[in-house]
Amino acid sequence: MADLTYIDTQIEKNGDKLTEHILGQLKEKLYFANEKYNLSNDEVVSIIEECIKAYEKSLVDPGEAVGTVAAQSLGEPGTQMTLNTFHYAGVADINVTLGLPRIIEIVDARKDPNTPVMRIYLDEDIRESREKAEEIVKEIEGTTIESISKSMKIDVINMSIVVELDTYKMQKQGLTLDDIKEKLYKLKKVESIEDEDNFLTLKAGDVSLMELRKFFNRVKSHQLKGIKNVKRALIKKEAEEYVIYTEGSNLGEAFKIPGVDITRSISNDINEIQRVLGIEAARRAIVDEIRKTLEEQGLDVDIRHIMLLADLMTMEGEIKQIGRHGISGEKSSILARASFEVTTNHLMKAAKFGEIDSLSGVTENVIIGQPIPMGTGNVKLIMKK
Amino acid sequence: MLNYTKYEKVRIIGARALQISLGAPILIETSTLDPIRIAQEEMKKEVIPITVIRD
Repeated sequence: MADLTYIDTQIEKNGDKLTEHILGQLKEKLYFANEKYNLSNDEVVSIIEECIKAYEKSLVDPGEAVGTVAAQSLGEPGTQMTLNTFHYAGVADINVTLGLPRIIEIVDARKDPNTPVMRIYLDEDIRESREKAEEIVKEIEGTTIESISKSMKIDVINMSIVVELDTYKMQKQGLTLDDIKEKLYKLKKVESIEDEDNFLTLKAGDVSLMELRKFFNRVKSHQLKGIKNVKRALIKKEAEEYVIYTEGSNLGEAFKIPGVDITRSISNDINEIQRVLGIEAARRAIVDEIRKTLEEQGLDVDIRHIMLLADLMTMEGEIKQIGRHGISGEKSSILARASFEVTTNHLMKAAKFGEIDSLSGVTENVIIGQPIPMGTGNVKLIMKK
Repeated sequence: MLNYTKYEKVRIIGARALQISLGAPILIETSTLDPIRIAQEEMKKEVIPITVIRD
């Protein structure tokens, strides 16, 4: 049986030939196999050698057109995707954009995605308690005066707004009459609030009817509590723990709520992730979101293609879209830019500024009919002396 | 020998096969007449007097 220290030294000897992750796995598996099969020293060495061979075989040769392959590998499955935008994600009936529209949304790095959604996990000590989850939902979920009232109307005679409060809903949201009044006083133009039974009468001072109507709409949508942008929150049990799904996303605010597990909670708004968690998290989010969307449609794309795309989008430290206003628009070659979109604009501008094209990329050389600097086209031969 | 990439190997074999087809003296003993096959065999034996510049 091979000595454990022998395995360690052999692995260390080959440390520069494999990645750290693979080395760790290899070590673990070697320990296991050694126990089970009584490996000899020679066997250990040849196992490591086989591993290195397999790893090197999996690497891409320099000169390979990885970008083109990635584009095609993502493009072809795209043709098979349904255009069906909406989908109910499991039990929690929250709408999420899926399929091709979602992929386009990610690749375009939209600032305002159609269906922002958060998945909020709870801290270890409270994640199995439904009551705690409900408490946090109450803090997250946005509540407007409209959602806790039985009726709201404009009293034209007294130029005021009358709200009939629903005490049951108020209780459910943990709001008292004083809370509501205090919040409403923060609204502009509110002069006085009178309460009688469950009726609130808001006076707006000296205003015209039209202004009163506008005021009415503002009162209606005035947020009493909860996080901005979050419209709804649901609790879902996943395995042993309770997870909160929200419609609308605001990670920064959600993280401020005690009891929220910052390490696992996540949004599907990639720009927000970049703002709150940083660019590396955004890169991961792009990869995960695209992979999830493809998987949901039953498509299998190698993760390395998606990673290449995500790397390209995030390499400058901020998220850039693939199209005209991002990656493609910032290429240094005029011809490459012109071949994408708005051809004449690029050519005119380049002519005006006297730009020079160094013809170092693929597109430029295709256009002028030269061998492209990829694969065999990138090899320069010389006679041995 | 350098660890050639698959593209470098192709270019070297291609260039050598062209030389052979134009009548260059071959550097190995072989029974094949196909210049490409001869170049491949030469490549295997590492006798081709061509290499690559990497910059």
